[in-house]
Amino acid sequence: MTGALLRARDISRRFGGITALAELSLDVGEGEAVGVVGPNGAGKTTLFNCLLGLTPPDTGTVEFDGRRIDRMPVWRRSRLGIGRTYQRMELFRGMTVADHLLVAEQAHAGTVRLWGDLLHHARPSREELDHVESALRLLGLDELADRPVDVLSLGHARLVELGRAMMGRPRLLMLDEPSSGLDAAETARLASIITDVRRSEGTAVVLVEHDLTLVGEVVDRLCVLDFGRMLAVGSVGEVMADERVRQAYLGSEA
Amino acid sequence: MSQLFNYAVPGIPFGCVFALMGVGLVLTYKAAGVFNLAFGAQAFVSGLAFVFLVQDGWPRWAAGSIAILGLGPLVGLVLDRLLFRRIRTASPLVKLVPSLGLLIALPQVALIIAGSTPQIPPPALFLDAQTVYFHLGSVPLSGLELSITVATVLVVAALVVLFRLTPVGLEMRAVVESPRLTELFGINAGRVSAFAWVLSSCIAALAGVLLAPLYSQLNPEDYTVLLVWGIAAAVIGRFASLPLALVGGLGLGVAQQILAGYLPAGIIATGLRPSLPFVVLLVFLPFSRQRQLDDPLADCDPPIAALDGEARGYRAAATLTGDRGDETVMVGLWHRTLHPDGGASIGRRLLQRPTAVLGWVVGGLAVLSALTWVSPDWLLTMTQGIAFGIIFLSLTLLTGMSGQISLCQASFAGLGGFAAGQFANHLDLSLLAGMVLGGAMAAVLGVVVALPTLRLAGLPLALATLAFALLADNILFPNGWVGNGATGVLVPRPEIGPISFNASRSFFLLALVVLALVAGLVKLIGDGTMGRFLAAMRGSEVAAVSVGIDVHRLRVVVFAVSAGLAGVGGALYGSLQGSLAPNDFNYQISLVLLVVVAIVGLGSISGAVVAGVVYTALLKSLSTLPARYAGLLAVLFGLATLSYTRHPEGVVDYLGNRLVGLVGRLTGRWRDDLPPRTDAPAHPPTGVERVPMAADGVDR
Repeated sequence: MTGALLRARDISRRFGGITALAELSLDVGEGEAVGVVGPNGAGKTTLFNCLLGLTPPDTGTVEFDGRRIDRMPVWRRSRLGIGRTYQRMELFRGMTVADHLLVAEQAHAGTVRLWGDLLHHARPSREELDHVESALRLLGLDELADRPVDVLSLGHARLVELGRAMMGRPRLLMLDEPSSGLDAAETARLASIITDVRRSEGTAVVLVEHDLTLVGEVVDRLCVLDFGRMLAVGSVGEVMADERVRQAYLGSEA
Repeated sequence: MSQLFNYAVPGIPFGCVFALMGVGLVLTYKAAGVFNLAFGAQAFVSGLAFVFLVQDGWPRWAAGSIAILGLGPLVGLVLDRLLFRRIRTASPLVKLVPSLGLLIALPQVALIIAGSTPQIPPPALFLDAQTVYFHLGSVPLSGLELSITVATVLVVAALVVLFRLTPVGLEMRAVVESPRLTELFGINAGRVSAFAWVLSSCIAALAGVLLAPLYSQLNPEDYTVLLVWGIAAAVIGRFASLPLALVGGLGLGVAQQILAGYLPAGIIATGLRPSLPFVVLLVFLPFSRQRQLDDPLADCDPPIAALDGEARGYRAAATLTGDRGDETVMVGLWHRTLHPDGGASIGRRLLQRPTAVLGWVVGGLAVLSALTWVSPDWLLTMTQGIAFGIIFLSLTLLTGMSGQISLCQASFAGLGGFAAGQFANHLDLSLLAGMVLGGAMAAVLGVVVALPTLRLAGLPLALATLAFALLADNILFPNGWVGNGATGVLVPRPEIGPISFNASRSFFLLALVVLALVAGLVKLIGDGTMGRFLAAMRGSEVAAVSVGIDVHRLRVVVFAVSAGLAGVGGALYGSLQGSLAPNDFNYQISLVLLVVVAIVGLGSISGAVVAGVVYTALLKSLSTLPARYAGLLAVLFGLATLSYTRHPEGVVDYLGNRLVGLVGRLTGRWRDDLPPRTDAPAHPPTGVERVPMAADGVDR
């Protein structure tokens, strides 16, 4: 595919004797939504970690927007326009919902502003606050803006994760099981937010998910991972009809 | 070769004791979820009891049995019940501070109870300590060395039998491997943990008794050094493997003797031996963390503590949103994020203003008093309090706001003081310039500490900084061009043109100005963008880096700024005293500093200032008491440590919140302002994937 936004080639990663990823390649086009499914332990989260650089891959290259990023530190990749959520949520304990979004917004904009702080010029700008406010409204979290995240319900906490990843208008969102632990209504809400963002910003999405309804609603293309290998790629319907996929994912009796 | 042998053999007894400590530490860490730094104190208490019993005419086997099998586990169980059981699931800082507090307080309490120091040289557990029994090659083996080695071999053999052949040993191995699975198999992991706790306390006591005859007089500090070696052994065992810790301890003992034998005499040689643990920590700590990061299965089986942690998160959230609005929970340590109700209740915010006003009034009265009627020695105490307040503020920035635990803050302060003095003396500068240069030197040292420890957090970081403090004490400060050994460095009072600050009142004012500058700086950082980034880093380093924060750089910056501030405080303190010796800021002081400021309040600027004043005032008022009560401070310290586990936000914030809550209740107007409960807390006590509040993957 030409003009792919994200292009990962031959990513391998082993942990001791376990092969988490075996020469995996993945392309994500501009504005495209790709679903990644697979049984637990298939290497989905490791794939995310390798793409963002939290876990250095043993082999393989990653390109983003035509630039090699596999030697960049994580924070720089993030500033290029990659937002990510975590399956096991990684919220900033003790910080308020609004501060989560503000931190992400400011971090995307630039580096540590020690001198600015000391001269007391480092109040959040009107523009930054506006961005935070509109994100809060989009997520439906405006009521909870000043609440510390520690007291949020799981559903709200997942939305904060999503919101934090969306700040700074990333061109690619990597969502790691965003619906895990949510009920049907919350999942539906999540799906509508993701769809909204895609429509208004043209953001590309990689979605790791077990909830196939959510996957079906959001993605254009689906990949199935098993034991660190790409088992099948195609539209949701094609992939789910694939016999090997049914074997690996649903168990042999299905 | 034979020379190597001759150097190595005397190292074995040391290695045995290190190994015992390491094994005990790993055992409690894995089975009870706490890295028990009070281990050194437990060893000291049993060693002391043993010597006293022998002095009173008890046969050594009876005295040993009581000290090792009776007192050792008793102290361990009391500590477990009172303290450690409650904090298994807390954050690394909340786990660390009480065990540090006990490490300092417990030996003093024991010495008070004993009422005197032993009159006889500490005997060996068996054999005669000084007699040489036989030669191994050309190495003479004394009763001391033989008794240590034989006892260790016997204990290790007993442990092997216990672990390999008995049911409880099997269960214990299972708990150490995987507490959660063990529970699933219907084994009561709590009971097994208690057994492991007793066992490790016995091991600590044994190490304490065995080591005693090495010294002519029992001294808590020697046992703290022993503890550091034990920590190094545990780190070699990656906090997880008993055999590796055993081998590590032995290896360290032998290695330090070989090093001492081959290196030429001088500061490096005498300094390097005690610094070996630092090297080990630095080499092995990143490795042990790396493993957790890279091992995808490492998270599949959180220790039992983590399970409790989820329940605790649940409870905490319930408290937060429940009707006890005046309780703060551990949502954070920096006050900006501490209000449990966020911005939901304007009433409570308004109420906080009178509390702040009250604080300013009290502070203003204190300053006025200092300038008018306070006696010279109390004025000195207050000025000391300000100097310490500045050092505490450096911890507020580093630990309170950024979540980086530093056990070498006194080293930063010391270097700042020495450098200020040396610059003032040799370059004939005003001390004010010296203070700035001293702060800059300390900041450089901060960078030097931050760079190799970038990948560490929580407990490993704390241990690495502790080891660094030891390194500074042994290698850096004894040099003539730094701390000038025991003599110390003269630090003059500053002058600005014709104005001299020799008079104590003018110096007090100067100190006050410096404090205000430092406090302002910390406040600006805390309230600004950087403060928000620091809070994010404290909350989750992984998430911080993936929203685009350069966490490594941020850490280096915050270490540098914090070390610089500590250096300024140290320089001010030195100038006040007129001179500064390495012992004024040795590693023990670092431990005390962290514990004091954590107890009083790491979450706010006022907490640090109050900590400084209270700390020096207590030292001063206790020094006027008869010698019999000199250890009272230690008792207070121990009690405060216990209170800390209930109120990790610190005394100042706790009282402030209580005051606000009280006024709120009296007026009855703001009861209804508490935020509505969100439907369920974010941390339901089910589910495997949830990261529990405490288990941040850092200090397992």
